[in-house]
Amino acid sequence: MSHYSDGSFYNPAYHDSETLELDRRPPFKPRHSNPYAQDPPPPWQAARASAVSTVTGPWANADPWEGGAGGGLRALGALPLGPRPSQHQEPPWQRQPDHSSVHGEGSFHDAAGPSRFPATFSANMTMRLRGMRRMSMFPNGDPSHLSITEGAIRNELEYEEQNLVKELMACSTKERIEGIRKLPMTYHEKKHIRNRVLASKSSKKSRHLSCLADCSERMSLSLRRGASGVAAARQALDLWQGTMKEVGGSFGSSVLSYFLFLKSLLLLNVFSFVINFSFITVPMLAYDHVPHVPPNVTFRGLELLTGAGYFRYTVLYYGAYRADSSTGLLHYNIQLAYFFTIAAYMVLCGAAVLYSMASSFKMNYVLSDPVGGGSWQLLCTWDFSVTNEKAVRQRKNNLRIQLKESMSERSQGTSLTPAEKMRHFGIHLGAWFISTSMAVGCGNAIYYLSQYEQQQATNTEDWSPAREAETLLVPFVVSLINLVVPLFYSLFNKFELYSSQRRQIYALIIRNVILKMSILGILCYFWVNEVAHKFLCWESMVGQALYRLVVFDFFFMMLGSFFGEFLSKVIGTRWIPGLGVPEFDVARNVLDLIYAQTLAWIGIYFSPLLPVLQIFKFLVLFYLKKVSLIQNCQPPRRVGRAAQMKTIFIALLFFPSFVGSLSLLAYTSWSLTPSRFCGPFKGLDSTFSVVVVWMNSLEKVPAAAWAVWVYANVVRSEIFYFLVTIIILFITFVFWQVTQGRKLLILLLRQQIVNEGKDKTFLLDKLQALQKSHPTQPKSKIKKQRRSGGSSTGVRSSSNAMVQTFLSVEQGSRGTYLREPPSPSHLSISFQRTPLPSERQSPSDALGLTLRAGQRAEVHQPWTPPASDPLVQPPWTPPSEDPLVRVMRARDAYEGPPVPLDGGTSSASGVMMQVMEARRRAEGGGGRGGPERIGPGSSSALIQAMLARQQAQNEYDDGY
Amino acid sequence: MGATASHLGKDLLSEYQELTFLTKQEILLAHKRFTELLSREDKNLPDPRAPTEAILTLPELKSNPFRERIVRVFSTSESRDGLTFEDFLDLLSAFSDSATLEIKSHYAFRIFDFDDDGTLDENDLEKLVNCLTGETEETRLTPDEMKQLISNILEESDIDKDGTVNLSEFQHVISRSPDFVSSFKIVL
Repeated sequence: MSHYSDGSFYNPAYHDSETLELDRRPPFKPRHSNPYAQDPPPPWQAARASAVSTVTGPWANADPWEGGAGGGLRALGALPLGPRPSQHQEPPWQRQPDHSSVHGEGSFHDAAGPSRFPATFSANMTMRLRGMRRMSMFPNGDPSHLSITEGAIRNELEYEEQNLVKELMACSTKERIEGIRKLPMTYHEKKHIRNRVLASKSSKKSRHLSCLADCSERMSLSLRRGASGVAAARQALDLWQGTMKEVGGSFGSSVLSYFLFLKSLLLLNVFSFVINFSFITVPMLAYDHVPHVPPNVTFRGLELLTGAGYFRYTVLYYGAYRADSSTGLLHYNIQLAYFFTIAAYMVLCGAAVLYSMASSFKMNYVLSDPVGGGSWQLLCTWDFSVTNEKAVRQRKNNLRIQLKESMSERSQGTSLTPAEKMRHFGIHLGAWFISTSMAVGCGNAIYYLSQYEQQQATNTEDWSPAREAETLLVPFVVSLINLVVPLFYSLFNKFELYSSQRRQIYALIIRNVILKMSILGILCYFWVNEVAHKFLCWESMVGQALYRLVVFDFFFMMLGSFFGEFLSKVIGTRWIPGLGVPEFDVARNVLDLIYAQTLAWIGIYFSPLLPVLQIFKFLVLFYLKKVSLIQNCQPPRRVGRAAQMKTIFIALLFFPSFVGSLSLLAYTSWSLTPSRFCGPFKGLDSTFSVVVVWMNSLEKVPAAAWAVWVYANVVRSEIFYFLVTIIILFITFVFWQVTQGRKLLILLLRQQIVNEGKDKTFLLDKLQALQKSHPTQPKSKIKKQRRSGGSSTGVRSSSNAMVQTFLSVEQGSRGTYLREPPSPSHLSISFQRTPLPSERQSPSDALGLTLRAGQRAEVHQPWTPPASDPLVQPPWTPPSEDPLVRVMRARDAYEGPPVPLDGGTSSASGVMMQVMEARRRAEGGGGRGGPERIGPGSSSALIQAMLARQQAQNEYDDGY
Repeated sequence: MGATASHLGKDLLSEYQELTFLTKQEILLAHKRFTELLSREDKNLPDPRAPTEAILTLPELKSNPFRERIVRVFSTSESRDGLTFEDFLDLLSAFSDSATLEIKSHYAFRIFDFDDDGTLDENDLEKLVNCLTGETEETRLTPDEMKQLISNILEESDIDKDGTVNLSEFQHVISRSPDFVSSFKIVL
């Protein structure tokens, strides 16, 4: 709706601010975010607008009580607090499309005569209440007596809708579809808008049809079809949709996130398997499909566990790939294929993990409330996907407990004595010390164990089964540590007291990560430093070690879910009922997955087909965990923060896990000498030198000169990396600064909203004071009802009071406006039926009450002498005069002489104007005074002040 | 509208796809589920409307504490009960994975706005909390707790201090609560 942009209350400070993510949408979008309207102002504006408009209303015109003002005043009838003869009207959300969309501009500038649209100035104010407005426009479902106005409304709406349509037409097809889709309207309304856009588009097109446009249109159409086809196909292929739904339905989204994580890792491994198999293994097998197994080695079955023996000579490991196999019918360079396939896989994995980490970080951390634990956080994270009756009940219970906890935390605060603080600190220190030294101890133990094992091992090719079984010792110990030590860590929770549960979880996660990383770090160190120099075909040895680790990890994961979930359920339900059914520990399980994936990443170089094992493992794990979850576990007691946990898990997957494996692989391929007697890279100094060799060979090919150039000047050049680093650092710095600036801006904008609130409060107080001070006003009543508290509490419903006031005036004036008395019956009915705010515990609604009462009196009785108090009039006399006249007279009685047309000099608006004038001066803005749309004479001071304010903000933004 | 037909027309289907966040499969499934809710005679009407009671029997909504509100908010009928197929699609679209935060928060606000007056006032908040903690006497919060909770809520979210939470304030709060998008979800 362009009248926003036309300035009435449009605030670029909000609207154009790049800072608030909320506002960073296509220009037309924010205008449709209002609750009940089709084209609401952007969220920020709405707050402002409604804050402002309630005040503005009656003074929107210089002459509040004359015809033109009637529009403004009547618009207030739209407010929900007003009488709502609800039954007869269309429900608020369901206006037919033709009434639907947008509000006209020109609310303020178009004629002030009787044809004025009743809700005009409400443009800024109550888009969200448009439904209500219509209600009050046609209070008894018979709009005939409002026919003139209705025409005007239609015109306005038509105009607004045209604006929307115009905006949509300006967009590309894709944007248009997105834009319409994102309108918070009902289906029919969206359809209507779409049809209009399409209709006007096609009519336009017929005027100047160009082949190019047509072609591009058709192209984009087919592209869109293709895209939606892909999306549909993806969904059809979506694994375990039913299972996911079942899990989510009874355990909520935090547990579901474990399964989603598992699924994405599984897909990653499938991808890895597919590319490894097709680019490395298949060409290898095509040349040489019989494994070169020494005659004395046979398949014994133990290999499945140890990965040694027979498997050692198969394509499972690095050792079986040979560079000389590339001389087939087709020249296929296995060396290059091996190197680049793995490099490409790692790069793609890195990009995927980094991307999902960054987007999830943006979503869940940057935008999230730093304070956290708020009551809203609990309330608005109700899981709508939970469908299980029992789970719902349990969730309600948990939520109640959490709400109570959050309240008691709030009231208690954290008042610990120094002694207590010291004690807590000591315990934390002790726990950290114990956990870290345990991790270090485990690392050491594994190192010595590996050394011992290595001394036993030989290069001989025929190991006895007993010898082979000995190799299982290290993986067994490693997996045992991984299973037992975390359980031990979680015991710390019993005596370690954390101020928040979140910290406790974080501490647990960090300890577990330290443990797992120290184990893996030691193992990698051992492989790189000892195994690499001792064995003839060391890559295969490392591959076998990894294979064993993966297998044992799998067994222990199964054991873990048996002991961790099944046994504790049995114990909890049969023997020690106090323990209860265990919860599914998402954190521990996800960490296990991350560990497993780290092994797979490390192993990708040493054992290209390791992903097969990983796929199998994850598949079994999925079903196992699902069964175990449904049989043994209860939903987690804590809700919320699931999204942040997810972010942390992805971050962990990236940082120690992926980065660690990548650096190991990089070290291996750059610095370690490949085995001399096996593998694709035998005879080379390092794996990477395969690229050097390749480039050297390319130098003879003239067509590949660019590749050589790139290699020489980019890949091998320090200058290049130096420059890239500098540029990245610079960009980082700039973004950092921008972030800081935006943080500041957010604070300022927030402060501004608070200020607006204060403005409103202040003005309402003024108004109330005025009303109070009037001689005919029943002061005692106001005083009684007005809260004695400060403005923040007192004003609570005073906006409602205003609304009420305006409403009553509006009700009165409407009839006059049309020179047609409203049917008294419907008015009185509506009043009686709808509970008004003042009747619903709005103590400060005195004003509203008064005026409403006055209005009621006015509606129902003949005109009374100005001096008398309308409140004391008996409300049952039938109306015999035009309501507006009565209202005006009552007003006159309140406020002295009738208000001059050009003035705004009625006492109330005068004060208002002065206030805002002062404010404007204080703001130092107000240069142009705002868009030309608003005639200076007819706009209220408040609007001007607001515009000035906005202008100031504008300038500030520009400066910024 | 071909919603009565056992299968949806191609044009209609693509229109549905264009105007909602749902994919083709989802729409077809929704249609199947919707037709199951209709009574025999309703199926022959041009624009059949599944009654609220029937909608509430859907397992996805059956135990949802906001089920009546959801149907009410999405219904386009005069009496605010019963859903046409389009309404039903609107519902699923707002609750789908791909719906934007804006749409989701918009509808969440309307669902939470029990008296449909455009703001969340104390009564709305009280009803909301009661819905979430259980309606029975023993599960309810005590009046004191409720009062404190509501004042906490308002303190958190009522930026302009007018005693109610309006849509923009609500959306502001929601945008800082990352779990909302993943939990405001109903999948058929």
